[in-house]
Amino acid sequence: MHRSFLSQNPSVLWFVATLAVFTVIVTLLSEVTGVDMISTSFVKTLGKTLCLCLVAIAMDVVWGYCGILSLGHFAFFGIGGYAIGMWLMYARTEGIVIESLSSQPIPPTPSEISDAIGNQIFGVVGSSEFPWIWAFADSLFLQLLMVIVVPGLLALVFGWLAFRSRVTGVYLSILTQAMTLALALYLFQNDSGLRGNNGLSGLQNVPGYEDVSQATISILFFIASAFALGAGYVFFAWIVSGKMGSVVKGIRDNEARVRFLGYHVESYKLFIFTVTAVVAGIAGALYYPQAGIINPGEVAPIASIYLAVWVAIGGRGRLYGAAIGAAFVSLLSSWFTGGGAPNINLGFYVIQWTDWWLVLLGLSFVAVTLFFPKGIGGLFDLLVRKQS
Amino acid sequence: MLRLISLALALWLTVPVTAAAQPLQAILQTHQDEVLQPGRRTVSVVMDDLVASGLPQALPFLEAWRDREIVQRGSDGLFFRAASIGGTLTLLDLDTGNAIEEFDADDLTEARPNGGVRRAIGDALVQFQLSDPDITKRQTAVEAIARSMDSSQLAPLAASIASEPDPVLKETKTRLAGMLGALFADTAAARIAAIEALSGDLSVDVRAVLNTVLATDPQVAVTASEDANVARILAIGEDITAIEAYDRLIAANLAPALISGSDIRAALVENIANGAVGGVPVASLNTDGARAVAYDALSAQGIVPPRVTDAEQAAAIAAHTFYLQYSEADAAITDAADKALTAIEAKVALNQGIDLGLDALSLASIYFLAAIGLAITFGVMGVINMAHGEFIMMGAYTGFVVQQFVPDYTLSIIIALPLAFSITFGAGVAMERLVIRHLYHRPLETLLATFGISIALQQLAKNIFGTQARPLTSPEWLDGALVFNDVVAISYIRIAIFVLALLFLCLILFVLKRTRLGLEVRAVTQNPGMAASMGINPDRINMLTFGLGSGIAGIAGVAIGLYAKVTSEMGADYIVQSFMTVVVGGVGNVWGTLAGASLIGFLQKGIEWLNPSNTLAAQTYMILFIILFIQFRPKGIVALKGRAAAD
Amino acid sequence: MKFKTSAFALTALLGSTAIAAAECADPIKVGVLHSLSGTMAISETTLKDTMELLIENQNAAGGLLGCEIEAVVVDPASDWPLFAEKARELLTVSEVDVIFGSWTSVSRKSALPVLEELNGLMFYPVQYEGEESSKNVFYTGAAPNQQAIPATDYLLEELGVEKFALLGTDYVYPRTTNNILESYLLSKGIAAEDIFVNYTPFGQSDWATIVADVVALGADGKQVGVISTINGDANIGFYKELAAAGISADDIPVVAFSVGEEELSGLDTSDLVGHLAAWNYFQSAESDANDAWVAAWKAKMGEDRVTNDPMEAHYIGFNMWVNAVNEAGTTDVDAVRTAMYGQEFPNLTGGTAVMLPNHHLAKPVLIGEITADGQFDIVSQTSEVPGDAWTDFLPESAVLMSDWETLGCGMYNTETETCVQLTSNY
Repeated sequence: MHRSFLSQNPSVLWFVATLAVFTVIVTLLSEVTGVDMISTSFVKTLGKTLCLCLVAIAMDVVWGYCGILSLGHFAFFGIGGYAIGMWLMYARTEGIVIESLSSQPIPPTPSEISDAIGNQIFGVVGSSEFPWIWAFADSLFLQLLMVIVVPGLLALVFGWLAFRSRVTGVYLSILTQAMTLALALYLFQNDSGLRGNNGLSGLQNVPGYEDVSQATISILFFIASAFALGAGYVFFAWIVSGKMGSVVKGIRDNEARVRFLGYHVESYKLFIFTVTAVVAGIAGALYYPQAGIINPGEVAPIASIYLAVWVAIGGRGRLYGAAIGAAFVSLLSSWFTGGGAPNINLGFYVIQWTDWWLVLLGLSFVAVTLFFPKGIGGLFDLLVRKQS
Repeated sequence: MLRLISLALALWLTVPVTAAAQPLQAILQTHQDEVLQPGRRTVSVVMDDLVASGLPQALPFLEAWRDREIVQRGSDGLFFRAASIGGTLTLLDLDTGNAIEEFDADDLTEARPNGGVRRAIGDALVQFQLSDPDITKRQTAVEAIARSMDSSQLAPLAASIASEPDPVLKETKTRLAGMLGALFADTAAARIAAIEALSGDLSVDVRAVLNTVLATDPQVAVTASEDANVARILAIGEDITAIEAYDRLIAANLAPALISGSDIRAALVENIANGAVGGVPVASLNTDGARAVAYDALSAQGIVPPRVTDAEQAAAIAAHTFYLQYSEADAAITDAADKALTAIEAKVALNQGIDLGLDALSLASIYFLAAIGLAITFGVMGVINMAHGEFIMMGAYTGFVVQQFVPDYTLSIIIALPLAFSITFGAGVAMERLVIRHLYHRPLETLLATFGISIALQQLAKNIFGTQARPLTSPEWLDGALVFNDVVAISYIRIAIFVLALLFLCLILFVLKRTRLGLEVRAVTQNPGMAASMGINPDRINMLTFGLGSGIAGIAGVAIGLYAKVTSEMGADYIVQSFMTVVVGGVGNVWGTLAGASLIGFLQKGIEWLNPSNTLAAQTYMILFIILFIQFRPKGIVALKGRAAAD
Repeated sequence: MKFKTSAFALTALLGSTAIAAAECADPIKVGVLHSLSGTMAISETTLKDTMELLIENQNAAGGLLGCEIEAVVVDPASDWPLFAEKARELLTVSEVDVIFGSWTSVSRKSALPVLEELNGLMFYPVQYEGEESSKNVFYTGAAPNQQAIPATDYLLEELGVEKFALLGTDYVYPRTTNNILESYLLSKGIAAEDIFVNYTPFGQSDWATIVADVVALGADGKQVGVISTINGDANIGFYKELAAAGISADDIPVVAFSVGEEELSGLDTSDLVGHLAAWNYFQSAESDANDAWVAAWKAKMGEDRVTNDPMEAHYIGFNMWVNAVNEAGTTDVDAVRTAMYGQEFPNLTGGTAVMLPNHHLAKPVLIGEITADGQFDIVSQTSEVPGDAWTDFLPESAVLMSDWETLGCGMYNTETETCVQLTSNY
């Protein structure tokens, strides 16, 4: 018997429809259409949030469905950002350099151009040589390929080593955390060739579209992010349904039993780990041009822990839960730290949310894990069941 | 310069001085600016005049000047010595030494000799202090000589040795005289003898002396001249690159300068005519090849100098000898120094190895101390406590708070250690009861819940103590370092941490292996159900074990705060490191944690030694190594065997 | 040290001449973009308080153009991308007239594209590595030639240092500064092998090996000096290790570029007496304006609080901006920028700061020796040094100059006489 995966997952249609409506509304209310009810900076925030939702559902697949608590998926997100950032920086600088060199009495040689670009990009970090890592930076196509290949390859090698040695559970979590820490430390070095602590900046300016206003660029990125999230949702929903999904969930619940049934558990885990890493990379490649800057702090271990927290708060094992969790926590976080929440005057002490928000957030994790292990998504389940 | 002044000062003390022409104040008035804001190069102006005057009060003035006791009165620009007599500020006349009765303290400007000036004054004062009755002054003088050795100091120093009453200082003086002798003795034989006597001394200043004797200059010539004291002939490609060699030829005017890419470009731009240079159209000058063709065309016309070809470069290099020449002309002296230095350096290398080993041991003990609490909660109980780092922080802040109330550092540490233990013990027990107890069957969720506690605690610490780093000062007896020799030394605070780590290792082994509690802990760890049926209360045991692990983290916090810093983020610095220590060592075993900490500490120091200019790279490679290590030995160094090893 | 204009400074500071604030439709908004949480909060919170104090005083003195000044404080939380986001929010949603903010270079580089896109105006108060010039930023902190180069000269000239250890935290400011210093030292005849460079991570606490390496540098008989660009709380461990190893300032002097009064308040300084720091301002500077400023700060924040160099930078920057707005009669960015050039304001160390066409200040350079009470004893003070956006000691930068007033270009190549780019390099 073969049922279409859509009928197995009614949530997919709901999710995609909601996302589409949301995208249209935001676009209509944005500065681009002249309505200007949603500011450009908020459009950027929303676009970034959609990318975070995408990486969160990838995290949900690897953790909520496959049972691998990876504390390193933000590393792949960051790598995607770096890959696209290299092209954005290179191409923008190339434009500036060629324009300034064109006014010279004799035309520049290729090596002069590349020296001048190197000096512009790496001058601020005290160097002017092009590191080997930038070999393909002049090609958008190759760098886009890198967005997929580098996280995929890293996940494949790392996963192959780890799953082969049967590193599981908490150990794997710590190992993935070590991986993202190593990446962050590596990127922090100036010698890494990726501008050290400064990272890559000015990414919001898309080369070749200097005349297009940020209002338009941000709405385009917002739509692209929404599309990616929708496609990612459908893709993952398809993966976790069907036989593949059953095996994966089996691995989560009892790895040994699935192995005894004759399945090659390592291959399934490796597949899930790698595919989610690639999706995380794509999400990162969409996120950082909207953020404008990427630097090593982005892939610090804490970012990946937050990712797990979003999924936990949203509700593991349900894709929409992960998306809701990511959107809810990150938007709430920016509301509180942005001074949006009114301070509470207790008479003897004024609670300033910029100071107390993290305390509240931390304690709410504890509350969620203790009392609502199904997270916000669990509330939806309750609603749906009541209706049926 | 220094030599001249010292000589003059010496003369002036030995030759009876005729009547003073003018008082000291008058001399100072002519140099108001230099006295008030002296520089290392301008100070000699004042000193020269003081020497020329031959005034006896100049010496105490120089001492006062160095010690920042000279002030200028704003109203009339006169200088005085400001001394604190009986707690009140008193002005003393520089010439007469009389106290000035009335003055306005706000009107005084302090003369501020900087570090360099203080040293220059100290150098000039040396010879008068070498036999001073006050031992601190003699020590100051000896230190001053050691800092800047000068030939003029040899004779007075040697003369003062015989009459030196203090045996320690006498030895220092003898040693110093030996070093000065190696540099400045009159005859070659005396210098060689002095150099040979230095052999085997590890100290930095002895090596400095020998290296000074062995100072070399790079030279280039067709053949090295006969009478030059050649240290070494340099091999091209090994000692220096061909590019460096050719640069030296250019610098010595032995070869024509190279024409660089930018030179070619500039020459081409200069010579653009009718849209072409040397017959090549400007528009096609966008490759190095085309530019070379155009440039060669120009040089064929004699407009620009020709390019130096690679063959010409190689020929020029081959035709010359590159060598290092000793500044010291006497080969016998340099040979002796070279022999002495080689012997010393072999010993230094060995001792540096030992020093590095000590550093590694110390780092390992810090990691061990930070991780040992975790070894209990994570290793024995299997609970992931991400807030472990915050317990370390709580311990450190406890130390800080205690120091606010107990000003005596020794006493405050004695109070802080048990207090930190009880506070974090309490916090640990509370956390176990309220949160972790409910999550024993969901280890991954423990991770999240404790992470939540971790960020809440961190932010709370920020709200309470602010974001600045807080001082946690170690008692005086922990200041300084245990010095084995001039290379091997380790600070007492690190020794204290090492001892503390050792103590805890023993304590925990004792508790786990030799006490009723330990027996019960092990029983509950292995099989809680069975343990419960034997009358052990697993809840109580879990609570106590968790409290113990947390309490030790608190004590570790005090120790880490003493040697580094107390900030709200200090826990986060140690948490990932600590988890890796435990995992690498092997979970469930205190010895494993010890092995993990040692491996990480020694390996990190080893990588740092290979690449001393980039500590960050060392940490990166360290973590990469750990990742690989776990892949190939997932259970850690000390793996548990049998049923306990099952997940 | 006294100066005649101190009365003027006092006026601006304490607001003794209150002008009746006219009715004003919208208050003038000043954005404050400093991290109040995260790793940089330790340094930046102080600057937020400084801005609030300055604005309070200005309002007490009658506000600006007859309007109240309102501070719009946001928290970018030491998260660099948030600096871009918050800067955009300040400029487009809160519609502030000027921004005072940023500490780290990366946070400034993050905000730069937004400032340039929306033609905002930002005052950046911290010493930095130079090699940048933006039309929309006024750099009130020190450029390398206003801190690093004079301090190195001091080591060379006054302390006779012949061998250098450049120790820094691994990020852009130390990297670039050390690059500049290396080529400066080479030009001063210091051999390349006499320069030891080491980079450590943020928050480094294990210093024993590095301190031993530095001591070992003295083995060839040369006077060793340390130039430290070690950042933040890593300094605490470093100085503790120095003290434990018994290294006095007479043996190996350390001159630090990132250690001020605020950092020293976390340490027992009795073992550090004589080590050096280079800044444009020390709390111990002797002038009436400084006395008044320190008193006002302590009155607002508490007796145990100290003042430091970036605070003075905001003090000068804010007052210059107020004067420029008064001169221009509007808060319009382009008008204010034009009025800024040549603005003079008495700095707190005596003397006058001048805003140059390259958006940097001319300020004196001070070298201080650490005293036992956590303050600095000023042992050297130069006359005003004009800040240089592009260093003269790196070949690629030596040919560049910045002049927004007449050339209208921040990156002007004097060799080819062309403007390389109008935006800044971020």
